[in-house]
Amino acid sequence: MKRWWVRPLVRTVAALALPVAVPLLLTLLLWALPGDPASIVCPPENCTGTEALAERWNLHRGPMHFFSAWMSNAAGGELGNSWRMQAGVPVSDLVKESIPNTLALIGLAFIPILLGTVLAALDAIHRRLDPILHLMGLFPAVILAVIAAAWKVLTYTEFGGETAALFLGAAVLGIADGAFSGAVTGTRSVSSAERRQRYTGVGVLRGETELSNILPNITPALVGQLRARILHLFSGAVVVEVVLKIDGLGDLLWQAALVQDFGVVLPVATVFACFSAILLLAQALAEGGVAVWIRWSPKGVMERAA
Amino acid sequence: MARNPAWMSAGLASLALLGTGASLSYYEEALPTTLNPLFADTMVDRRSQELVFDRLWYHDAITNELKSRIVQRYEVAEGGQALKIHLTPGVKWHNGKGLSSKDICFTVDALLDKGTPSPLAEGYRQILEGCDTQGNSTALVRFTRVFHNPRERLGFAVLPASEFSSTAVTPDLPFGSHPVGTGPFKGTKGRRGANFEAFGNAHHGPALAQLRLSEGQDGSILVRALINNGMQGIVQVPPPNRPELSASDEVALKSYDLRSWWFIALNTNKGPLADKKVRQALNLMLDRTELRKFAIGVEAGDENSPCEFISGPFVQSSPYYNRAVPVVERANMARAEKLLTEAGLSKSGGSWMYKGAKVTFNIGMLATLNAEATDILDQIGNQLGKGGFDRQVDKVRADEWARRVTTGNAQEFDLLIGKWSFGLVEDVNDQFHTRKGGEGKLNIFNYSNPEVDGILGEYAAARTDTAAQDAYHKLHKVLATDLPYLFLWKLDSRSAWRTEVRNNIIAPYYYFTEIDGWKYSK
Amino acid sequence: MTGRWPAIGVSAVLFAALIVLAVIAPEFLSEANLDLKEFGPAAVPPFGADDRGRPLWELAAQGARVVALPSVVAGLVVGLFAAAGGLIRSMDLRWADSAVAAFGEVVGALPRMVVILIVALLLPRDWRGLFPLAATWALLSAPGAMDEAAAVAERLGGARFVEALRAHGYSSWRIFVVHVVAFNLRPVIVRQAAEVTMQVVFLEISLSYLATSNDDPSFTHPDSVRSWADILHLGYRALAFDAPYMHALVLGLGLVALVAGTTIGISRAARAR
Repeated sequence: MKRWWVRPLVRTVAALALPVAVPLLLTLLLWALPGDPASIVCPPENCTGTEALAERWNLHRGPMHFFSAWMSNAAGGELGNSWRMQAGVPVSDLVKESIPNTLALIGLAFIPILLGTVLAALDAIHRRLDPILHLMGLFPAVILAVIAAAWKVLTYTEFGGETAALFLGAAVLGIADGAFSGAVTGTRSVSSAERRQRYTGVGVLRGETELSNILPNITPALVGQLRARILHLFSGAVVVEVVLKIDGLGDLLWQAALVQDFGVVLPVATVFACFSAILLLAQALAEGGVAVWIRWSPKGVMERAA
Repeated sequence: MARNPAWMSAGLASLALLGTGASLSYYEEALPTTLNPLFADTMVDRRSQELVFDRLWYHDAITNELKSRIVQRYEVAEGGQALKIHLTPGVKWHNGKGLSSKDICFTVDALLDKGTPSPLAEGYRQILEGCDTQGNSTALVRFTRVFHNPRERLGFAVLPASEFSSTAVTPDLPFGSHPVGTGPFKGTKGRRGANFEAFGNAHHGPALAQLRLSEGQDGSILVRALINNGMQGIVQVPPPNRPELSASDEVALKSYDLRSWWFIALNTNKGPLADKKVRQALNLMLDRTELRKFAIGVEAGDENSPCEFISGPFVQSSPYYNRAVPVVERANMARAEKLLTEAGLSKSGGSWMYKGAKVTFNIGMLATLNAEATDILDQIGNQLGKGGFDRQVDKVRADEWARRVTTGNAQEFDLLIGKWSFGLVEDVNDQFHTRKGGEGKLNIFNYSNPEVDGILGEYAAARTDTAAQDAYHKLHKVLATDLPYLFLWKLDSRSAWRTEVRNNIIAPYYYFTEIDGWKYSK
Repeated sequence: MTGRWPAIGVSAVLFAALIVLAVIAPEFLSEANLDLKEFGPAAVPPFGADDRGRPLWELAAQGARVVALPSVVAGLVVGLFAAAGGLIRSMDLRWADSAVAAFGEVVGALPRMVVILIVALLLPRDWRGLFPLAATWALLSAPGAMDEAAAVAERLGGARFVEALRAHGYSSWRIFVVHVVAFNLRPVIVRQAAEVTMQVVFLEISLSYLATSNDDPSFTHPDSVRSWADILHLGYRALAFDAPYMHALVLGLGLVALVAGTTIGISRAARAR
């Protein structure tokens, strides 16, 4: 119990390390692969200027030089231009126009999950509904996304349906891969385990509500579950954005990686890592905050003698 | 050759925008990778750039005559090793500045600058020496040697000097997405498509106000969108979808001459394929008629077939095609097996063995070809399998094709299925010359034959069309025997446009050369 | 005990069906039959034909072969990691526990599909296949599995539980392998392994579908082979364009249900007492 701060601390350190570790890992991975973007544009066998291009893109002096140059520019807000996917367009513009779409998608998809969590915490969803929930959750995101894409094609012309795609994508993410059903059953298992504890019964006898007693204890677990679910949504958003043609970060990552546009892949993967880091930090703060609050003795309660 | 005096350009611009207000939306097979003509990688790039830029010289889509919209007149200079160009007055860039000789020389300097990492520019470095301005509207372009057809060598798009800080042009400049040209349309490239807004000029007066390009998807979606008038055109209709469009009264299918031919390149440096007899046997093992039927849906004897067999590296309509060399339309297994036996292979348990080991061919194919010829990779694999060869098949992504295959670095393959597209200058030297000293830049498997090199040298040195044709006729004959490639067919491209789109002349290769005359009336 | 046998039976049958499909898969598909007018199961039993007239059972079988071994191996890897996580907590190895927690926090914080996508798109052609991706997925899933197994081990009593069993005279092998892992961690290990197996199958379908719809080379299997994504793509065309391939959609969903059913059955079998 004395070491309650370890986990939050580990999470905080991990959150701070992620936005650096991910681009570093990606850089090392990209260097391990054969070929490079400069030689795709200008194969040395067929044209001169490959070295100059590699130098322009900082590909000429090894991965650490590339990484440090990229990090120092990124720290100053300079993400460079797209090399191939949208040649010449500043990556920051591409990212800025993609983030709202992805956040909207994730945000809308989170609504059913939050709803499921709250209802399960309040014990408002009967266990008889569990088989239906499990069945809904069995569908993988790609299959629901394909069905949604078919409906969109039938309903809209080539240049319409962006809003519909967003709502469809959110519905897919919120239901597929056990997102909603997992939120319900996960929350229910945590809260029902706490409800069975003796202190809860004692609290009820004192005239308090069950929820007010169990909430401080289940909050860290719930925050952890919600974080995992949001992360899962980010993960699934990649497939959904590509299938439904939503101009989000996942689709940007896919298009850029297809043409080996490292200039876009690296920043976008780092943005994903930043979102993860924010979630991790939020969980660490929630855990730490609850732990401090629980340990803060009310007035008039004596400290137990050592 | 000014079409209209300069003072009318503003009026024309307004007219173009307000006159019809017509906006056309069409499908391409992919998004353009860039709108910078120095880095054109795909045919989509070239077609899109044709809307935005003027090439110094171009071929008229109907008469094939060499013309220019921005050159008023020219003179051969310096004993044939230079061309003095006088520009058409009143031509404006999309940024409002006037076209001048400085822009011509900037473009030439950019092509020659080693800091421009462009395979296209590399080709021009063998041809161009330099450029000098002689006044605001006269430029002297110098060549490395005397060419019998110098204007044919100046088919590059002209770039604006005002938009660049240096002649070392790199692919990641904003110019690739927001180019400035003198063409009939001002283009911008986005994530899901490209937009082209009409720009009236002294030499252009497009009747259409706007063009919108979208990336084509499933063939069924393309057909449906076109028939429902959600889109007005499809640049390349996949063969399986042509019958449905052909049956519609609201859509017209038009030919698009890409001068492209399909091939199977053979790795003449690897295993049994090093022996000419084995290559000839494979040529006889392939049933092209069956392949065409299964992959493209064309039966033998079909009239107006879009797919025409070839026996050499030219299309049948080309003056370089040697009609004396017959096509192998059907398989001849008996002859093929005889050749294989003569080459020292033996058959054991239904499989061919070479030096004691079972022969397994590693077959690759440019992945994008599957849209035009469904499952052709499997079909070819099946035919070779029936012939007694084991196989492993792989699709090759376009990036990898450009980076490894065309540079001769994909030696792990035995066979590679691909397609070459040519402009009106069908120069195949780079495909078959020994890869050395800047020659043979597109020689896939580093094929080397001194006789072929000699013939290609004859073509390069030719001073008349007849001499060039003679050289290539000889080349056709030699290659049909030596078979570094198995030549398959020319597959006609077909475009589909709604009948409301009128006067839509489709230029060979560049497609939109005559876009000024296109009209759209609902 | 009696609750376990129906679940074991169902999952065994479904798993056996998957393995049989994988075993009978042809190396190359049959020749196309372009003269086919009807594509349903009545015309080409038992599952109908694809748009080229090839029997769908061949595509289903090839797809099973693509996913069978890598998904099972990924599941086993995650199961081993989960067991390790539980054992570390039982043995009260604090340094190892902290290292696992730190590793888990970093790895677990990455959106899995993003990592997999980057790995899939950047793998050289020679290394292409489901195994590297399944291994990556297993690695990314391992922290969660280890965490859950460690939580179960902690609820047993951790070091005190071990001490109590030692007092009974049991050997270390019996304590850790039999009592901790086999008796107590088994449900969570089996469930995690089964879920990862299912996830790898769905991952393969997702990646293959993305490749198919772009006409790209496959990320997960040789191009001479088809996967379940090709069957589902036919189903998409049936839904969107009234193409006569509804039977393909039914088959595709049926194959997905086969895998899901196996996973649920195995999880229930491990849980039921």
